[in-house]
Amino acid sequence: MLSSFSCHQQFSRPNSLQTRPHFNLKNPVWWRRRQNSVVVVRCGRNEVEESKNYYELLGVCVDASSQEIKDAYRKLQKKYHPDIAGEKGHESTLMLNKAYKVLVKDDLRKQYDASIGKISNNLRIGSIWEGSLRSQALFVDENACIGCRECVHHAGNTFMMDEGFGTARVKVQYGDDEERIEISVDSCPVNCIHWVDTEELEVLEYLIQPQPKVGYGIYGQGWERPANVFMAAKSFNKQLKQQEENQQRSKSTDEEETPAQSQARESAYRELKVGRFARIWSWMKRSTGQ
Amino acid sequence: MAEPAYLVASDSETTGEEKSSSPFPDIAIGIDIGTSQCSVAVWSGSQVELVRNTRNQKLMRSYVTFKDEIPAGGVSNQLAHEYEMLSGAAIFNMKRLIGRVDTDPVVHASKSLPFLVQTLNIGVRPFIAALVKNMWRSTTPEEVLAIFLVELRAMAEVQLKRPVRNVVLTIPVSFSRFQITRIERACAMAGLQVLRLMPEPTAVALLYAQQQQQSVHENMGSGSEKIALIFNMGAGFCDVAVTATAGGVSQIKALAGTALGGEDILLNMMRHLLPDMDTHFSTRGIDEIRRMGLLRVATQDAIHKLSSQSSVQIDVDLGNGRKISKALGREEFEDVNWEIFEKCESLIKQCLHDAKVEVEDISDVILVGGCSNIPKLRNIITGVCKREIYNGINPLEAAVRGAALEGAVASGVNDPFGSLDLLTIQATPLSIGVRADGNSFVPIIHQNTTMPVRRDVIFTTVHDNQAEALIIVYEGDEKAMEKNHLLGYFKITGIPPALKGVPEINVCMDIDASNVLRVFAGVVMPGVQNPAGPVMEVRMPTVDDGHGWCAEALNRTYGSTLDLVTVQKKGAH
Repeated sequence: MLSSFSCHQQFSRPNSLQTRPHFNLKNPVWWRRRQNSVVVVRCGRNEVEESKNYYELLGVCVDASSQEIKDAYRKLQKKYHPDIAGEKGHESTLMLNKAYKVLVKDDLRKQYDASIGKISNNLRIGSIWEGSLRSQALFVDENACIGCRECVHHAGNTFMMDEGFGTARVKVQYGDDEERIEISVDSCPVNCIHWVDTEELEVLEYLIQPQPKVGYGIYGQGWERPANVFMAAKSFNKQLKQQEENQQRSKSTDEEETPAQSQARESAYRELKVGRFARIWSWMKRSTGQ
Repeated sequence: MAEPAYLVASDSETTGEEKSSSPFPDIAIGIDIGTSQCSVAVWSGSQVELVRNTRNQKLMRSYVTFKDEIPAGGVSNQLAHEYEMLSGAAIFNMKRLIGRVDTDPVVHASKSLPFLVQTLNIGVRPFIAALVKNMWRSTTPEEVLAIFLVELRAMAEVQLKRPVRNVVLTIPVSFSRFQITRIERACAMAGLQVLRLMPEPTAVALLYAQQQQQSVHENMGSGSEKIALIFNMGAGFCDVAVTATAGGVSQIKALAGTALGGEDILLNMMRHLLPDMDTHFSTRGIDEIRRMGLLRVATQDAIHKLSSQSSVQIDVDLGNGRKISKALGREEFEDVNWEIFEKCESLIKQCLHDAKVEVEDISDVILVGGCSNIPKLRNIITGVCKREIYNGINPLEAAVRGAALEGAVASGVNDPFGSLDLLTIQATPLSIGVRADGNSFVPIIHQNTTMPVRRDVIFTTVHDNQAEALIIVYEGDEKAMEKNHLLGYFKITGIPPALKGVPEINVCMDIDASNVLRVFAGVVMPGVQNPAGPVMEVRMPTVDDGHGWCAEALNRTYGSTLDLVTVQKKGAH
């Protein structure tokens, strides 16, 4: 079968946010069709649009049904299609068509979701590795991040903006060359980009996710994350260790138990006491198994 | 001819502003140039109205007669009798001949028409001539069409009391981009600017979208998505479209079409009634032409009658001792044309397959065009789609009405009652690609891709230190590259010396909403930021008339020296 380079980049590399990766990287100029003022305006807007992912482009949430996606697409087409918006609608419609084509097909949408690290079931999948695992990984402390976009600007294949929270995040580890990453880390005005040990990364990325906060009546509800994620990670690891020890201790003391009993008790124990940690366990198992 | 009947409008004239007293001065009119009949419609401010000629006709025969040296078309000319059109002085079926080379089977089928169609079978345009005072006067399909369009334009300008410049034209699905350029040339000759081209069934789809939206407004019902299959068969072409409609937006999911129509049915029946027809009329004297006309009219009448009755009696005296007297039954008619009907059925099935639509998902089946009364065709469609045929659309006016709606929408007209809150999202009827990987056709934009669209594919060189590469652009969906339409070719030069497979030759194609195809090509060396040398931008098609053989000539001259191959990346789809 014909191998389309653009498709390849779009789906196998996770940086689909740049929908024309090849030309964006290498020669951003020669596409611009006509050298008149309209084009300058058009390019300016494109830059904004290209930094959006397909869901943002269509203005739907990541869990939108295909009906919602179709409706949104039609609504936007009625605004931007060149029949209505004139020639300046060409570029926007290209983007819409591209986004729609992917999101409306289940298989393409799944691939795309994986590539952008879709937030599914309240469990945000962490950053993806470009190439082999290394001992050091990048981590953005989103508590400190002021949303300046500097890092995304310098290393757009590594960092992305979470428009919902207004903070930056690592989407691909080593998505850009080291020089660009170096520049982006240095460019951070609040020094919120950290080099961390790879083993710590998953816990950190899990903990930095905002968790729903139980409120009282209408007060106090919302989202929270640990004020100091590094401290939280330490205590989390400690708890994990304790949990393991507890399990081993319980195993050693209740040897008379039948395997079924033991299993039932263990699962009940997990559900009751470490429900929150069980989630990350299952997730880590899943993600390493993949 | 002292004065030409039409004016050649140059492209630079497009900025000419014209004053008008009409409230909607710039609304593009819709024109449906049929193989057999033409019509014009325009948005009147509240609805679409068909423009009538001085004889109060909405549908006008598509022909131009040269009998008095001064050409006269079917808009202004009154035929004393059908035979007048078949006297050899009139050229018709322009739409079937335009942009075709003399190796095309459709051109060969046209050789039994009363006017002269001469072929040399070498891939040049056929020679076409009308019989004027016992002389064959040469013309071209573009010229004939332009004369006809001038009459249509004059008629519309008189009726609308304003200058008419912008048009939305309907075209068959199977038209190649080269054929479209010939249509556009005819329009330019007639002083018309083509704002949009719509495959005929997509124009019908837009009209259907409007009807659906109005019924939603009236019933306050839910505007859920409706899938419709549209089958259009006229005298020259057969088209199918599957559209998804919701909220006034018609989204074309798939298109299929072929150059088969009522003309082919007519020809089959004429051959059936007079098996030695071709030898009988080969001399093409005035008497033979007259006899051929007699047979044609008698056969046409019989076919029309067979739509409403199960058998028909045919009696024609061809003179010269030849007489045809025969009772023709509907079954016999269906047997003679079984191949055409079978092709129609397979087109519908193919279109449904390409649209990935199950028969159960279809809400409405729409049948339009001059052949829509043929019972066999109706049976096939109801049989395949398991639905009764939608009856809310006039089969002969649907396409032109849809074109007029698109003309109003694309001209920026708003309707306070929401009747123009419409949009047609078109799809590419044919794949477009380049010759690469040896002698194969590598599509870059596939068939049924939503327009506007931009796609690119990376190619690379096949020889070490290959400095140039030939990009040959084709359109079509045939596996054998030669069977697709050649659109143009150009060379990329100045590829830096490198081992084969190293330079990246990026070929990008862009189709905008007005269906303009641009091909970009540039060379990028690995690790270099900018393209090596300026990038090419070529508006296609570039081929000129009669270049059916130029692919062969390129092959002979260059062989595989300037070839390309696609870059196969691991993990690619």
